[in-house]
Amino acid sequence: MTALPHEAYLACMAGLPWVGPVTLRRLAGLGPVERTWSRLVRGQVPTEVLPPVSVGAAALVRSWARAAGEVDPSRHWDELRAAGVGVTSLGSPGYPAALTEDPDPPVVLFHLGNPSVVAAPCVAVVGTRRPTGYGREVAHTLGAGLSALGVCVVSGLALGIDAAAHAGAVGGGAPVAPPVAVVGAGLDAPCPSANRPLARRVAASGMVCSEVPLGVPAAPWRFPVRNRIVAALARVVVVVESGATGGSMSTVEHALRRDRTVLAVPGPVGAPTSEGTNRLIADGAGVCTGVDDVLAALGRDVAPPGRGSRPALSAPSGLAGRLLDLLGWRPETPDHLVRVSGADPRAVARAVEQLVEVGLVVRRGGFVERCAGPAPDRPT
Amino acid sequence: MLANVTSAVLIGIDGHRVDVEVHVASGLPSFTVVGLPDASCREARDRVRAAVVTSGFSFPPSRITVNLAPTDLRKSGPVLDVAVALGVLAASEQVEPGLLDRAAFLGELGLDGRIQPVRGALPLAEVLADGPLVVPSGNAAEVRAVAPGARAARSLRGLVESLRGDAPWPDVDDPAPPRPLDGDRASPDLSEVRGHPLGRLAVEVAAAGGHHTLLVGPPGAGKTMLAERLPSLLPDLDRSESLAVARVLSAAGRSAGGGGLPQRPPFRSPHHTASVVALVGGGSQQLRPGEISLASSGVLFLDELGEFPAAHLDALRQPLESGTVDVVRAAVSARLPARFLLVGATNPCPCGWAPDLRCRCSPAQLSRYARRLSGPLLDRFDLRIHLDPPDPSALFAPRERTESSVEVRRRVAGARALARERGVSTNRSLRGAALELHAPLEASAVDLLRARVEQGVLTVRGASRLRAVALTLLDLEGRRGPLGVDDVLLAECLRSHDVLPGVPG
Repeated sequence: MTALPHEAYLACMAGLPWVGPVTLRRLAGLGPVERTWSRLVRGQVPTEVLPPVSVGAAALVRSWARAAGEVDPSRHWDELRAAGVGVTSLGSPGYPAALTEDPDPPVVLFHLGNPSVVAAPCVAVVGTRRPTGYGREVAHTLGAGLSALGVCVVSGLALGIDAAAHAGAVGGGAPVAPPVAVVGAGLDAPCPSANRPLARRVAASGMVCSEVPLGVPAAPWRFPVRNRIVAALARVVVVVESGATGGSMSTVEHALRRDRTVLAVPGPVGAPTSEGTNRLIADGAGVCTGVDDVLAALGRDVAPPGRGSRPALSAPSGLAGRLLDLLGWRPETPDHLVRVSGADPRAVARAVEQLVEVGLVVRRGGFVERCAGPAPDRPT
Repeated sequence: MLANVTSAVLIGIDGHRVDVEVHVASGLPSFTVVGLPDASCREARDRVRAAVVTSGFSFPPSRITVNLAPTDLRKSGPVLDVAVALGVLAASEQVEPGLLDRAAFLGELGLDGRIQPVRGALPLAEVLADGPLVVPSGNAAEVRAVAPGARAARSLRGLVESLRGDAPWPDVDDPAPPRPLDGDRASPDLSEVRGHPLGRLAVEVAAAGGHHTLLVGPPGAGKTMLAERLPSLLPDLDRSESLAVARVLSAAGRSAGGGGLPQRPPFRSPHHTASVVALVGGGSQQLRPGEISLASSGVLFLDELGEFPAAHLDALRQPLESGTVDVVRAAVSARLPARFLLVGATNPCPCGWAPDLRCRCSPAQLSRYARRLSGPLLDRFDLRIHLDPPDPSALFAPRERTESSVEVRRRVAGARALARERGVSTNRSLRGAALELHAPLEASAVDLLRARVEQGVLTVRGASRLRAVALTLLDLEGRRGPLGVDDVLLAECLRSHDVLPGVPG
């Protein structure tokens, strides 16, 4: 039993009821973890580490003792190894350097994939779960461009912007700097389930990590808490699209507290999805119009033109150009386009296809939507 | 003494000939009906007894046995009343048995001897049309299309007198008050639709190619308005179709009294609280036709498709493929027609506005809403089009002239004629080799479809449906020749690849 690494005990402690990051840090601070674990099993825990829970201290200690009695740390450790899940803890060699200086670091970090990818300069690309086509394309382009230039893209693997950034980062085959995803649930059940294939692709080239032990489902409070890890890992946080409130804004708060650079992608005035980002710019955040701005914020040389930056698009002429003007920045139905352009449906269908081919427009769910620019590999 | 009278009973929408044998013998007075009658059929005893007496005949105080042959066929309903009463009269020698020879009788008796109309008179008359037939006067107009020589009867007394030749046969109640048939209701006209150029095109293509259509859009976008105008674009029913429609209407007890066969295709729009049996047909005893059979040869419109329980929608899948529905119960089964054109309408999300920025639904709500419609069902919609509400500015603008239903119907009839030349009723039925033969593609169109399949935005099945839609577009324009890129692109506008915005990207 003494041969077990102390991460094994921490992993077990993290799985106890009512144990969140703060309580886990208090428990870890009690001294050698083997001893703390046996105290937990015996129900002898000092009251100062107990979180304030409604059931009362005595009941909490009893429920910890009962739960701890049912877990065998060495068996649990074997299970983790069998599942291919790595565990690092605060202070151990594999632990991400960016987190060691953090005011609120996770004591233990479960990870799938290669933990060394965070050694590259990290940039968080975050945003709303309900983006427009514009935001999706920007996130995708940033993800693809940054990872091709050796910047590790960090995000939360949520729907929308997060997923688009990750899809961009892993989309181009073998990225120079693979991405990192910090999820808010146990690694065996990353949330949302729709992104599980993407999670596997991220883990295959980069890393998917979580401070939540295996088997623990997502809970609403876990996501803002998870956001602090995203902010802590990154040197620059880019908000692509966000409402005035929401998860991305909590990431921004965490980033500002940690003195990280915050960039925001400007969006149409009056669009609810760009309300938060436009407000950030008004409040003094940097403007992100592409990969170059992020590189500049990282203090790196701006890539030579043609590499990482968008190729200039020639403005389409004729009906295609008129349709682009009519589109604005909201999704429209083909029916609407035919009506307002007054053109023949067949000609409109052909013009939309032209715009899609040059990458100025995407089709999604029966709608036609303008997007930022040509993306190498559009997420579907 | 024994008497034998011919009649028929209804199962599903088919009539089945029944021989009513009545035996009157001495013994303790009794009246039994054997030969698998159900409760409603056994009640005939009391009606017949009363009607015989009130019609001025005497009810024999003997042992009466009625046998309904074939005895393994379940009989239900009051349609055999008249036959049983005549059998009793003949067996008790109050009516000469020779008068009933070879003739068949349909009708329900009232206690005062009146003969009431019955449900399903048209299919019943069809199986009895080879001989003399007497039907209730209320059904006379309805059966004239299949049994022009049928006699009408108003009361038991009058019927016996007419049989004896003592009184003339009553005239057929004509003209009956003109009650419009379900499908003949003056259908609203397409020229009333403002905007929606692609929506109009979609219903035109649906009418021409028989393509099932899904209309998606926020509340007030005009989904119902377009769907209700679809029947007005369909050509008139031909003789066999209108007979089929009349048969189902008659079996469902919805026949119009006006006489003549329905000329216009039916339009049915059941509410989403309808039960499975109401939709597909059935019921433990009588196997009545459901909404899909009533809509056969016409349009079945399911508004708020997402609100229908999933089990009800999945029950439609097999009839959609086969064009018929086999309703099977332990004792009885029936094959009902279900060759309908399905039009569904749904909101894109619970609030109705997705993917517009006005939509405030959470991603979880969106994906839950999208899951309500199963993939296999969505796959059966050849046309899937999004509509948005017309611009407020256009609403009060002076009305520009748009095509009326009659003008569009002419093109639709032309396209349908082309489909018939290909050996199918509509292009929807073109599959596999037939599609390869009749809808050849230009090389560039092949490249486009192949690229779409490789990108994963189109399934192989989807590509073939797209091709059928493109062929219908070509037919409507009266063009021939291989399908070009433009045809495929326009078909793609009418058939969105992913319909509901619940799938995250």
